[in-house]
Order: sequence, then C-alpha cells, then structure tokens
Amino acid sequence: MIRSVGASLEYSDHGRQVFACRQVDLTIRTNEFLGILGPSGSGKSSLLYLLSGLKIPTGGDVFFEDQSLKTLPEDQRSRLRLHNFGFVFQQPYLLGYLTALENVMVALPDQSLREEARDLLEKLGLGTKTHRLPHELSGGERQRVCVARALLGRPKVIFADEPTAALDHTNGAQVVNLLNQNRGEGSLVMVTHDPTMLEQADRIVHLNDGVLIED
Amino acid sequence: MEATPAAPKQKSSRRAILRPMAATTYLLRNSGKTIPLIGVITLAVLLVCGIVSLINSIPFSIRTIYRYTQQTLAITPRGDASQTPKLMERIKEGSPVPIERMVTARAAGSQVMSIVGKWPFAVLGLKQEDMKFWLDRQNVRSIDGRLPQAGKAEALISAPVARNLNLKLGSDLLGPDQNESYSPYPVKVVGIANCDNWLMLTSYEYIKANHFPDVDAVLAFAHNLKDQEKLDKWAGNAFKGERAQIFAYYQLEKQTNEMFNILYKILNVVIGTLVLVITFMMGMLINIYQTQRLVEFGLLQALGYTKRQLLGRVLRETVSVVIFGWFFGVVAAYFLLRLTKAVLMDPKAFALNIFDPTAFVYTIPIPVSILIVATLTVILKFRRFDPVSIVERRLA
Repeated sequence: MIRSVGASLEYSDHGRQVFACRQVDLTIRTNEFLGILGPSGSGKSSLLYLLSGLKIPTGGDVFFEDQSLKTLPEDQRSRLRLHNFGFVFQQPYLLGYLTALENVMVALPDQSLREEARDLLEKLGLGTKTHRLPHELSGGERQRVCVARALLGRPKVIFADEPTAALDHTNGAQVVNLLNQNRGEGSLVMVTHDPTMLEQADRIVHLNDGVLIED
Repeated sequence: MEATPAAPKQKSSRRAILRPMAATTYLLRNSGKTIPLIGVITLAVLLVCGIVSLINSIPFSIRTIYRYTQQTLAITPRGDASQTPKLMERIKEGSPVPIERMVTARAAGSQVMSIVGKWPFAVLGLKQEDMKFWLDRQNVRSIDGRLPQAGKAEALISAPVARNLNLKLGSDLLGPDQNESYSPYPVKVVGIANCDNWLMLTSYEYIKANHFPDVDAVLAFAHNLKDQEKLDKWAGNAFKGERAQIFAYYQLEKQTNEMFNILYKILNVVIGTLVLVITFMMGMLINIYQTQRLVEFGLLQALGYTKRQLLGRVLRETVSVVIFGWFFGVVAAYFLLRLTKAVLMDPKAFALNIFDPTAFVYTIPIPVSILIVATLTVILKFRRFDPVSIVERRLA
C-alpha cells in the first residue's frame, strides 16, 4: 500500500548535512500493524512523516498505491492524507474550543459521519463525555479522543507517532489496544521507543541513525 | 496539550454540537476574542459615522435654513433705488423660462441660531396680495394664528424658526431692545406657518415705514419650480457687472461648498488617520490571535487540510467579524445620531441627517482595510508554515 524506495531525508544543521533517514526501503502492507522501533533521535518520526507525506524525501521516493508522494502537489498530498490516513501524535493535540465529538469530526468535514464519531467515542469509553471540552478531560481521555479522530472514516493507514509518550504505561497500552482493535481493514504504523507497546504488531522494524534494520 | 485555549467550564451537558470547521464555530466558542474585535470595529464605525454626520450637519443646516430661497430669485438694485422697475422689465423680457409672478419686496435683518453660532436671516416684507402666493410657494400646510396686517408691527414665522428662537404667538420677533433683530417697534408674532422651510414674514408697508434702506427688491418666481434654477443662473449671468445684486439658492450652494472645501480636506485627513490607526491596531490584534492558533493550523494541516482551506476558513472568520462589527457600528451610529437629534438638535430645529449616505460611505474603508491587513497577515504566516514543526512540538 505504501512503499518507500531509497527514501532519504537530509537537512542542514549549522552548515553540516545530517541524514534523518538514509535510503529507507520499506513496504507497508494492507491491514498490517507495523511497529517502527528505535532509540530517541534515530529518525523514527522523520520516517513516519516521510511515509505519510508530511515530509518530502530529499532522496528516493515514497509511493501510496503507486502514486509518488514526491511529485504530488502539496494540496493534493494534503487531500490524500485527509481521506486516506489517520494520525495520532505524541501529544494529544485537540482544538480547545471544540467538544470531544467535534474534535473527532475534525478528521473529516462530513456531517454524515457524526454518528460514526459518536460510536467511536462510545467504543473508546467516552460515550458520556462527547460534549466535554478538552480541558474537561484527563490526559488519557484526550489521547483516546485523538484515537477516535484517527479512526473516523475508516482510513487506509493510521500513523501513530509515539502515541503513548505522554501517558503512563497502563493508559499507553490501552491506547495501543484501542487503535489495533478498531482499525478495521486499515494498516497501523506505530513509531515508539518502547518495545512493550508493540506486542500486538505483525512486524517490527528497527531504525538506528536513520538506517532501517528489518526484524 | 490543547491546540487553543478552552472555553469556560461546566456547560458540557448543554453544549450544542457545531460544525467544527465552520467559521462561526470558532467565533462563537471564542467570544472572549471575537467580541473585542467586533467591538473595536463597531466603535470605529460609530466614531467615523458620528463625526461625518455631525460635520455634514453644518452645511446641511445652511441649506436647510436658507432653502426658502430655492423658490425664488431675488434681485436688488445697487446704489440706485429707481432701478427696480427696469430690473423687472429686464427679467420679463430676457427670462429663458416662463415667469409665474414678479413682486416687489423689502427686507429687515434678524438672526437665527445654528450649531456654530448665529446666522443672519431676512424678515421679508410682502404686500398682502403676495403673502398667500409666497406661503403656497413655500408649501405651507396651515397657519396657527393669522397673516401680518399691512403696516402693523406683526410677523409670521414658520415652525422651525419658532422652535429655533423659542418664539410663540405674541412673542417679539424684532424690537427696539434687540440689537441683532432691531426694529423701532416690537414686532409681534401673529402667525406660525406649519412647513419645513425657515420663514420670517412681515408686511411690506411696515418695513418701508420703519427700516433702511429705502429700496425695493424684486422677487421673480418661475412658472415651473423645476425651472427656477435655470432662471436664477440666467439672472446671475445677465446682471453680472451691473448695478444689481442677485440672491439665489445656487449661489448659496456654491458658497457653502467652497466654504467647507478645506474643512472636508481636514476631515479626510482625520478619518484617514483614524482608519490607519484602527487598521494597525486590528492588524496587530489579529496577528496575535492567529499566532496563538498556530498549533491548531499545524494540526489541521497535518491531518490533511490544505493551506487554501485553512486560509479560506480564517478569511471567512475575519469577514464575519468585520461585517458584524461594521453592521453593529452602523446600527449604533444610527441610534446615537437619532438620540443626538432628539435631545440636542430637534429642540432648536438644527438640521441633522441620521441617514447621511456620505457618513456611511466614510465607514467603508474601515472593514475593507482591516480585511486586507488580516488577509496579508494570514497569508504571510501560512507561507512560512510547516505543520511538522507543530506536531513535533517545536513550535507548540
């Protein structure tokens, strides 16, 4: 479904060229749970941004269903993300002026998905808190709202960038469980430095200094 | 981590579900920011509309007070009182439009109050047979009291004059102890005409017997009121350089425009500066508010919203704020001017147009310039914007 071919991400740091990712060849298959494991600063998040089209590779290319993300104009790349990908970030980013339900509906501006959004919150144990604003929710609840947002519209791929980083182990494991159990036919790509969070993964790849080492 | 500050607590059970990406959602849920923005625009529009309307009320007052001259052409001989019949003959022969009537009249001086001080006003002396025609020409609907009698120290005034000078039936319009409205005998008000024009009328015979100069003026009325200006302008050219002085409404308009030309230039500078200051202030406020929303924009862009969609959303929000601010400003200005008119202007019959179109036009640069500045601010912000820096917490 997603294929990176020699994808590299290089940037300049005070005049010095640094590789965040170096010639990564990786395929994400349909319906698989792929874990990307690596220590802090190994380039895990950069790889996730390359695979999801948030960053453009400086070398090589990334393909989604055989469409090059590198050559796709920015607007089309954005639309592709909106309609095919779901995201969960390290921090539970929510819009402070929107309720939990509205925050979930941000994922797809389609009012017909309101019931699906409500069902997702119900499934994630937030059925009684759909009308609450983010500041009225705990950290774990907020991240669960983010999970619901990522799942809305049944995206083809869900990208989770250290979704447990801001949570304790119990809440973190719960978030991973919820993502995995509710992703349906979608693939799940999760970046983490904690191997215990990838116990349910179908496949785990390791990243070290931007270089991919497949298990 | 919340992308933007949150709304007040403890309302979750009653909170309505809104369309999350609608412009109104942000505005409604962030009233703490929306209301001050709308308030500033409202006050600016109110201020500009109020200033322009009040300034415009001065020339408007001049036109209103002397509007009665629109109905007639007045000519007086200069230096030779015997010229009056010849002037009448010249008008009869040369007029480009049919003449309804020509009468001889006399005038004494009086004064009326305006918002910028006292202005001279003529007490017209007409013969009995001409009074009715004159009053009909001035669209007098009815008269409380009666017409002044020939040779008697009596006067008729119109309702606006009565309000302006606080005169009633039996009051003195002119008198020996009134320095600015002198007459050797107290001239009593015996009639008040109900009409919109400002009028002071006494008998021809009384002025001839008691006032200088001993000169008859000619009043010439075009048959068709629409032709009066044509007659006035013809007379202005025909008697140029001759021993005759023309008094016509078009001259008054011209003089008024010339008189206020400089004032309007100053007004334009003041309003321009005001718009500039308000726009600058609003630009800064909008810039601060948009900067506070960078996390929101970063998140939305990361999720898949295009920069164009986000820009469109911010512009819709700004347009809503600007339109509401302008609308409330115009409504507030209307009510303030209405109050001003009722409390300050109407008791003295001062003219104030509360629907002054110029005043409303002057307010348009405020929303337009704010919209332009807000748009440029947001475009510049989005140009250098990287959503990854937000979701990576580099800017969060």
